Amino acid sequence: MSDIARDRILRLAPGCRLNSVPGQEDVLLIPEGAMQARGPARTIIALCDGTRTFDALIEELKSLYPTADPARIESETAALLTQLRDRGVLEYG
Amino acid sequence: MSHQLQAIIAEVTHRCPLHCVYCSNPLEMQRRDAELSTEDWTAVFSQAAAMGGLHLHLTGGEPLARADLTELVQAGRSAHLYVNLITSGVGLDERRLDALIGAGLDHIQLSFQDVEEGPANEFAGTRSHAVKLRIAKMIRQRRVAFTLNMVVHRRNLGRLAEMIAFAAETGAQRLEIAHVQYYGWALRNRDALLPSREQVRQSIAIVEAARARLKGRLRIDFVLPDYYAKYPKPCMSGWGHQQMLIDPAGRALPCHAAGVIPGLEFANVKEQSLRSIWEDSPAFNRFRGEGWMPEPCRTCDRRARDFGGCRCQAFLLSGDATATDPVCTLAPAHAMVEDVLRRVNRSSESENGEWVYRVDSK
Repeated sequence: MSDIARDRILRLAPGCRLNSVPGQEDVLLIPEGAMQARGPARTIIALCDGTRTFDALIEELKSLYPTADPARIESETAALLTQLRDRGVLEYG
Repeated sequence: MSHQLQAIIAEVTHRCPLHCVYCSNPLEMQRRDAELSTEDWTAVFSQAAAMGGLHLHLTGGEPLARADLTELVQAGRSAHLYVNLITSGVGLDERRLDALIGAGLDHIQLSFQDVEEGPANEFAGTRSHAVKLRIAKMIRQRRVAFTLNMVVHRRNLGRLAEMIAFAAETGAQRLEIAHVQYYGWALRNRDALLPSREQVRQSIAIVEAARARLKGRLRIDFVLPDYYAKYPKPCMSGWGHQQMLIDPAGRALPCHAAGVIPGLEFANVKEQSLRSIWEDSPAFNRFRGEGWMPEPCRTCDRRARDFGGCRCQAFLLSGDATATDPVCTLAPAHAMVEDVLRRVNRSSESENGEWVYRVDSK
């Protein structure tokens, strides 16, 4: 189970940002290095922009991926956010 | 590919208001009139990004000594690099900090010499601690990633618990507890700076407890001093594997100390492209791969993990840059490291060894 609260605004911590270089794959740059960001993970990271809560993020993802299993969207998103938070990438609360 | 450029370390100047007893800059520093221009650096940053480089570390000396630092940050960001400023803070004020952040600065690493003002100023050879306290406050009031770097050694490791508490209070996201490494000026002062075995032992317990206590609030990076380690550090993640350092005059080096190794010639970014230096220069290729390795490295199952340790340290301690890093307990030259450790563990920690301050001509 994830302990990501549903009603807090999500945004990347200072010093963490998605980097888009034309012709290269996007990466999430963090103070000590970089993380790959592709596919749905990239979308989720991009949506942690300080404008939406976890609940709102899930709604957004459901509309972006209408054929995906909603329960799976929720559990996998929570898992990714937990991982990001534990690495200090997600500003939270 | 065995080598992919990840980061550019830009030593934008060797000028510095501090005179730390463990200064890591080369003994022979580049002069102001030899420094690269804003345009030179801008060209370096875009070449680095085109080669797939991601991070730019602006360091020195003290980068703030350059009047064009904001433009350099801007140039790094425009090239799509992640811009990190490694600074003592001396030379920073609110206006300049806002300008740097406005230009796209991602991360600031602010160094401290101690948690107590007296010793901090003594180690820095200048009155800088009070300034740093003000700067830390200024940084935390702004939205920029903040790492506090605390340099530790024999004379201050006893205050490690206080240092960690201090770092947590400053609001930094990350604390880097950096043991002095014995290059440049620090090697001259090694016997006065190397901690005792008992100090090292206690420090491990203190860090472990603090990590548990501060989880989620402050991340703590801490690496044991390599003189006490069983195996050497994977220096620079391998020679010419991920990083390139450009010195103030434009010389491209595999690391900040590589200039000590005799027989290596370092190309200048004013004369050659970054890519050709990275791919083809003899200096960057000198210790890539495993062909250069002596025994016991050549057949060691750790060779792909630590690359035989640090080439510069191997040269500085043994006189042979191709030797196994003498800090490795398997190294033929390890006895000399044990001699040093015996010596520093015989004298009392409270005895203040003699050291020499760095004084450089301007």
